[in-house]
Amino acid sequence: MSKSFGFNTLGLHAGYTPDDRHGSRAVPIHQTTSYMFNDTEHAAALYNLEVGGHLYTRISNPTIGVLENRMAALEEGVAAVAVATGMSAVFLSILALTSQGDHIVASSQMYGGNINLLEHTMSRFGVTTSFVDPTDHDAIAAAIKPNTKMVFGEVIGNPGLDVMDVAAVAKVAHAAGVPVVIDATLNTPYLMKPLKHGANIVIHSLTKWIGGHGIAMGGVIVDGGNFDWGQNDRFPTLTQPHFAFQGVNLWEEFGPAAFAMRVRSEGMYNIGPTLSPTNAFHILQGIETLGMRMDRHMANTAELVAFLKDHDGVAWVNHPSLPDHSCHDVAMRQMPKGAGSIVTMGIKGGRMASQAFIESVELASHLANVGDARTLVIHPGSTTHSHISADAMKAAGLTDDLIRISVGLEDINDIKADFNRAIKIAQKKTSAKGS
Amino acid sequence: MQISINDADVFVSTGGRTPDKDAPVLLFLHGSGQTHLSWLLQARFFANRGWSVMAPDFPGHGLSSGVPLTTIEAMADWCHTLIKAAGHKKVTVIGHSQGGLVAMELARRHPEIVAGIGLIALALAIPVNPQLIGMAEDNEPAAFDAMVTWGHGHDGAFHDHPMPGNSHIFMGKRIMAGNPEGTLAVDLKACAAYADGEKAAASITQPAMVILAGDDSMTPCKQGQALAAAIPHAKLVKIEHAGHMLPVERGDDVNKALRRLFEQTGA
Ligand SMILES: Cc1ncc(COP(=O)(O)O)c(C=O)c1O
Repeated sequence: MSKSFGFNTLGLHAGYTPDDRHGSRAVPIHQTTSYMFNDTEHAAALYNLEVGGHLYTRISNPTIGVLENRMAALEEGVAAVAVATGMSAVFLSILALTSQGDHIVASSQMYGGNINLLEHTMSRFGVTTSFVDPTDHDAIAAAIKPNTKMVFGEVIGNPGLDVMDVAAVAKVAHAAGVPVVIDATLNTPYLMKPLKHGANIVIHSLTKWIGGHGIAMGGVIVDGGNFDWGQNDRFPTLTQPHFAFQGVNLWEEFGPAAFAMRVRSEGMYNIGPTLSPTNAFHILQGIETLGMRMDRHMANTAELVAFLKDHDGVAWVNHPSLPDHSCHDVAMRQMPKGAGSIVTMGIKGGRMASQAFIESVELASHLANVGDARTLVIHPGSTTHSHISADAMKAAGLTDDLIRISVGLEDINDIKADFNRAIKIAQKKTSAKGS
Repeated sequence: MQISINDADVFVSTGGRTPDKDAPVLLFLHGSGQTHLSWLLQARFFANRGWSVMAPDFPGHGLSSGVPLTTIEAMADWCHTLIKAAGHKKVTVIGHSQGGLVAMELARRHPEIVAGIGLIALALAIPVNPQLIGMAEDNEPAAFDAMVTWGHGHDGAFHDHPMPGNSHIFMGKRIMAGNPEGTLAVDLKACAAYADGEKAAASITQPAMVILAGDDSMTPCKQGQALAAAIPHAKLVKIEHAGHMLPVERGDDVNKALRRLFEQTGA
């Protein structure tokens, strides 16, 4: 038997061996808060990171554990911690490395929630962020200070769709002794594995493509195990004695998995954004078909982009697959299978026309999510990104006519027909108003 | 714990505990291209159960400086120096794979210092495939891939780790990739060149245990059985459905077996 499996095989099997007692083939939902200890010695050992196993679901759970192992396998990371949401994955990653007075360099082109967390929440606790253009590597290098603990960004910016050259950013960050943390929600490990390009930590909102059906919230942090935390004095949370577990030095005792251990041993113990075991099960169901679904997402995206590009009611279309996209070359090099299924466009007639389009679609759903099996549309300027400043909107590549489309898995002709109809209605409405 | 040996800084994991001078000492020796992290599930476990644990990184491995030693004999002498430097008179030595060869050679050269010996996933010799040595010299990542693929049994291949969320395969690769370039090739050549396994095995008079993995494709079980037969009084423990990286794949089972050995050695 080959012992090195492909992506789809891992998506179906990684992290789970049917148990001896029942032989359940599908991953069982361990809907429990706690676990019987064998004896007092076993209990103490679990509490002191001496043995594997589960003691309380806030910390770990067998169903969630399968999801974690599976995500580590798919991203080629040494360890993973699954959490309640993508946002809590971002927060726990920051928590694991930063303390008051520390600094983060982050991409200016990110999901609004990520920007808000850094700009408004972390700053209240003394962790400041410099936002920089993710394609300007000199600016990233210049922004790194002695107290910088990470360079944080997304591969595909949301909703500007600029693509980060992860290897180039990693080179700059590593030269300064700083790790690269990537929110890879929009690309999924199927399109690109950031760790293989030099990133050190990968975060996903599992709520999106990985779960894939718009039914369960979730997030995950995958530790690449490929950063030398002991190379400088920047990372005391990993290289100095832990406040618990008899002062364990995570870097010495857990090596490449030190970061993941810190996330679990502080983030899950002291904050506790625990994923529900049932949601872990739903997300695992999604992962089983991730490869197939992403192929279909990409095929539909390619057809829809071509259709919109040729449509005379469409003012502009943006997707990294388009040759005139500023990051086209980087996108194709990093993501040869496709650059994600988020497309943005403006309808001729400006903001009014774009809003009319959103109100006129019938098949596509107007809602605040991406990565559903169904096609979704939204006007980020008045919704997902409405809490960020005008300057930040500009930096994020957000114009006021921008419509964000998350291309679903429907028959492509039905999506095209729905869009065609809605574009025509939008134009009729706005030209009637204009005249 | 840091100890200076032959002018190089040596890192020795104590399983997260300050060593107790009066506790019996366990010396855990890692295998080719590995580090003290091979003992992830043993070091903390035994350190918290009344033993004084020493799991060193050999020179040029993990967190130790220096250059890798080139022969099993030199590694055995280095261990002797380490034990003396730490102020110990007697230790129970546990070796995995290459570390097992070193443990046997230590027992042969310095029998007075060895209270007992545990050999995990080992045979009388490790005649490393020349192709693997070639790979380790020319294309290390490919050698790491081969080692982790062949080094794990079912649980490793399916990323089913006893520590929630961990992956054996990728942890294994990262541990090896964390060593200075060329380390693995030096180790593999040292293993391949070692020819005194029979003599060393026959010389062991201390309590001994050989722990084998049923699905070991690097040091096949059959050859491990020959090793056990060559050691007077050795106990043989076979753990089914596991691969060569037994200490991480089956930490609980390995610890249970080792405990029986330690009871016998009084260590
Ligand atoms: C890129 C990105 N990161 C993080 C998040 C947050 O994830 P969640 O909604 O699961 O908290 C989202 C979506 O909301 C996202 O699109």
